[in-house]
Amino acid sequence: MKKNRVLAVVAAVAIATTSFVAFAPSASAACSSKLKIAYQGPLTGPEAALGINELNGVKFALKKFLAANKSANVDPVVYEVDDQGDPAVAGPIAPKVAAEECVVALVGPAYSGASKVSLPVYLSAGLPIITPSATNPTLYDFGKSIFHRAVLTDDYQGPALARLVTSKVKNAKVFLVNDATDYSVGLAKTVDITLAGRLVGKDTTPTGTTDFTATIAKIKKAKATAVIYTGYFSQAAVFVKQLRDSGSKIVFAAGDGVLDDQFIKLARKSAEGVLLSAPAIPMETANAKLAAEMVKAGWKPGVYTTESYDAANFFFDAIKAGNTDRASINKYVSTKSHKGLSKVLKFDAQGEVSGADVNGFVIKNGKIVLLGAIKA
Amino acid sequence: MDFALLRDAFWGLTFDGIALGAIYALISLGYTLVYGVLRLINFAHSEVFMIGTFAALVAASGIMGVNIEDDPRTGGSMILTLLVCLIVAMLASAITAVLVEIVAYRRLRQRGATKLATLISAIGVSISLVELFRIITDSLPREFPRIMEKTFLFSYAGADIRNDKVIVIIAAGLMMFALERFITKSRLGKGIRAVSMDENTSTLMGVNINRVITVTFFAGGLMAGAAAFFYILVYENTSFKVGFFLGISAFTAAVLGGIGNLKGALFGGFALGLMETWTSAVFGTAWKAVISFIILVLVLLIKPTGLFGESIQQARV
Repeated sequence: MKKNRVLAVVAAVAIATTSFVAFAPSASAACSSKLKIAYQGPLTGPEAALGINELNGVKFALKKFLAANKSANVDPVVYEVDDQGDPAVAGPIAPKVAAEECVVALVGPAYSGASKVSLPVYLSAGLPIITPSATNPTLYDFGKSIFHRAVLTDDYQGPALARLVTSKVKNAKVFLVNDATDYSVGLAKTVDITLAGRLVGKDTTPTGTTDFTATIAKIKKAKATAVIYTGYFSQAAVFVKQLRDSGSKIVFAAGDGVLDDQFIKLARKSAEGVLLSAPAIPMETANAKLAAEMVKAGWKPGVYTTESYDAANFFFDAIKAGNTDRASINKYVSTKSHKGLSKVLKFDAQGEVSGADVNGFVIKNGKIVLLGAIKA
Repeated sequence: MDFALLRDAFWGLTFDGIALGAIYALISLGYTLVYGVLRLINFAHSEVFMIGTFAALVAASGIMGVNIEDDPRTGGSMILTLLVCLIVAMLASAITAVLVEIVAYRRLRQRGATKLATLISAIGVSISLVELFRIITDSLPREFPRIMEKTFLFSYAGADIRNDKVIVIIAAGLMMFALERFITKSRLGKGIRAVSMDENTSTLMGVNINRVITVTFFAGGLMAGAAAFFYILVYENTSFKVGFFLGISAFTAAVLGGIGNLKGALFGGFALGLMETWTSAVFGTAWKAVISFIILVLVLLIKPTGLFGESIQQARV
């Protein structure tokens, strides 16, 4: 009996040791096959359009990189992480991504909420990330050393959007409308502060509102000369159409949530003249030739495709320079710079880009036309 | 609170509220008809409406060859296009409603399943249809081409009366009138009323219950399809989730008027449309659902069966 007990203890210790080795943090484990680049964002669900835009940018960058560097030890397939833009979905997925030893870099997460739950996991696994579109200003606190952001935060976009409208409309009297989502309320707040005395009214039309009659009546009564809407494109299209059908011709402006070809498709003629702001730049505007090449390859560029393309390319620079693990790739993107299509990516100590602009756009003849950087 | 806005723009808001209410009323008729006969909330009815919007879209582009780039049609071509879209939407919704009944409810009913099982089945059908359309449409909203130019017919006390909304109000009124005649005068309508009064006795009297139920779903579907076309004519876009918000509103309207009661559904629809528009003006659009539901709760507290009471057989519409 005693002997058996000793054996049992030995066996238990042995099992414990092996399992410890087997489940050791993957950050230190070496990748035995090809290196993988991951993308995280909404690939299914109602927000999927944005995620697919971004994934396409990463896929296109990977294809071009492998075509130019045939011997590169990089998997030709992007490791796709579908978080549906939802923190509740992202929570359980992030540890699995972190445990994939061959995933050495991640473009994303696309959304701020999902970023907040994923970043701490990636930080402990040492997985470097560059987000092309999560714009909540507090994200550095969640990702620290592995966090990088290829766009400006909401702190910049709101004031820029307000300036875009006041520069285009003389003595503008602005009516501000948000859709009650985190993004929309946050953006509206910074617009509001910048506009100060020029604001003549406000309304909230929660997502799913189909009838804007009352809001339009308020806009008319306030004698506003411009409307700023801080929501997303599908509802913006319904809103601007009803505004135009009511006979109003005042300026309509919105943020990056509306910067999407879908908006023009939905709003048709009512989209003409709409002003937009975004810390992003469409692929067609940034480099028409590349955009055409991308369409030919079967991927349609959309909003944040350019930023995702740039983010992926920064990682490929790192791999090309001989970095093959998470730590060295992280060090590379944190210290070096990359001349991208949208801007020069050079991250400061908090992982933020500097020297970038919020761009202004106008919709003209059914196309999104770049007006240039919105001046301070 | 902005009571001055309600005062200044009262007639404009009221006109728009009636147009919105007409759409609610048409959808809520479907809820009420089915409830009257089966004592069952057909949760898939919002998707019957959603499918109607997509059918109108297919009819416009597929059958009538209207391109999204085209200028609005005029004259006979416009009337024909409007009619074809309306009829296709109505038929598509009606057929969907009948199929939903056969697939999700009939067998459960015949085997004496509990109300709860039928309720889950209804919710299941609703979710399956929404997800199916989410996949088909790639989660993206779809635009409806402008078939008729939207113009102001005249102005009354500061209210701009727009042609498309006038059409919606008049056409919805005609539909409701036709439904009322059908329920009160026709043989099948009598069957519907008989079954809603007492299922077992009607069966003994020789009423074919399955046929009555099929007709009930068909009629409710026709109304939802008409609502779908009017909705897409005014708002010119749809998506897989369009049924959710409108369905909730229409269901609320049915309960407000007294579910199972046709007159109640009509009144509830118009009342809710007006209430939503007025409260949006006074309290802000974000408050419209809050205020509407507070009013609903207050009405139910005082009159638990809704304003006009339950049951279809008493309704004289």
